[in-house]
Amino acid sequence: MRSALTGVAVVLLLWGPCVQAAAPPAVGQTAPLDHGMLLGTWARVRDPGDSGRVSAATAKLLNIKEFGNTRASPVIVVAELPPLRQQYVSKWVDFIRRSHEADERGQPLATGYSHCLPDGMPTMMEGMFPMQVLQSPGDIVFVEEAYRQIRHIYLDQKQISPITDAEPGFWGHSVGHWEGNTLMVNTVGIRDEARMEGVPHSDQMQINEQIKVLSPDTFQDAVTVIDPVYLTQPWSFTWTFKRDPSYKLLEYVCEDNREDSNSEHQNLRLFQAPPAQH
Amino acid sequence: MAISWGRSTGWLCAGFLVLAAAAIPAFAHHSFAMFDHDHQIKLAGTVTQFQWTNPHVYIGLDVTSGSGSGAASVKQYTIECANPGILDRSGWKWNMIKVGDKITAVIAPLRSGEAGGLLKVVKLADGREFGNGGPAGKASVAVEGK
Repeated sequence: MRSALTGVAVVLLLWGPCVQAAAPPAVGQTAPLDHGMLLGTWARVRDPGDSGRVSAATAKLLNIKEFGNTRASPVIVVAELPPLRQQYVSKWVDFIRRSHEADERGQPLATGYSHCLPDGMPTMMEGMFPMQVLQSPGDIVFVEEAYRQIRHIYLDQKQISPITDAEPGFWGHSVGHWEGNTLMVNTVGIRDEARMEGVPHSDQMQINEQIKVLSPDTFQDAVTVIDPVYLTQPWSFTWTFKRDPSYKLLEYVCEDNREDSNSEHQNLRLFQAPPAQH
Repeated sequence: MAISWGRSTGWLCAGFLVLAAAAIPAFAHHSFAMFDHDHQIKLAGTVTQFQWTNPHVYIGLDVTSGSGSGAASVKQYTIECANPGILDRSGWKWNMIKVGDKITAVIAPLRSGEAGGLLKVVKLADGREFGNGGPAGKASVAVEGK
């Protein structure tokens, strides 16, 4: 009898967390560690609702062959064009054009990438490489393998007000709360250099996300960028992730970028004879 | 005044889309526009360097040409690979290539004509073959034979 009871107790102990994890959270609830649905390791995937999906017609239009077989791999570009105000369009297009020409020459422009700077927000959430979600009582933490980026979403804090008081950073200041199975997040305080696809933004930019858990193994991040200075309307896109429980994030230190255009030997460095072995 | 992305400016959108393609952060750092994917070449040589670093892994390869009666010359190639993460997920191991190894590689050469290119596939001395991850694309030249 005693062993039977012990067995039941063990089953309940094991079952309890499962039931708790599966139960939908209450609207507006911010209690810690009761929304473990995002915990784990995730990889970006192509999905009908994912903004990176490129149709055959669009692929042809984009001349994607130029970039290898991008169609066969997770596409991390945002298909939706930024709704820039008229006065900023030509400068942005010029940047894209110069960037393309520089790439063809093998001398990429000086950008955050060429200087080994991390993406920051919102680009980090493209999930260039897999990411892991951790949680502590006060925050949810996204760790992106690329550049080993770490982003905190605080569940127990209010957003900084006014927005322009937020100290500029690559990932800014994010606050969030759960509404059902969706983590609602607001981010402000992104520094000027952190630009997705070279699109400029002001210190009034806000990034709103609805990180929706669609199933135990799928979530979508619906991102909306608002910027009254540079954009005419919200810029929205969605990225989809699937759980990858077996994956362990690797180190990522950007230590030898031979495309660094800061170097006066830029093009020579790119494909010069390799240095001697140590 | 706001720009319209409507039908009347469809041609403009098309132009932007083509331009926006250049912004694809393939491999995170640059597009593959500098490499000639349509004229891939095969190289057989001796490894002088295997650097397992981010944002890219590099292989240094000495390729000897001009055998027979002519004087042999050695060309030093630098082959750009994906990053350790992509390669790890493609089955590579950080120490699977060593200085002195004889390997064969198919690359998309630099358009500039310099001795370098983007790896498509590599065949190791023990016969194993490895691609360069999805974003780099597949080889159009067989790594076997001439």
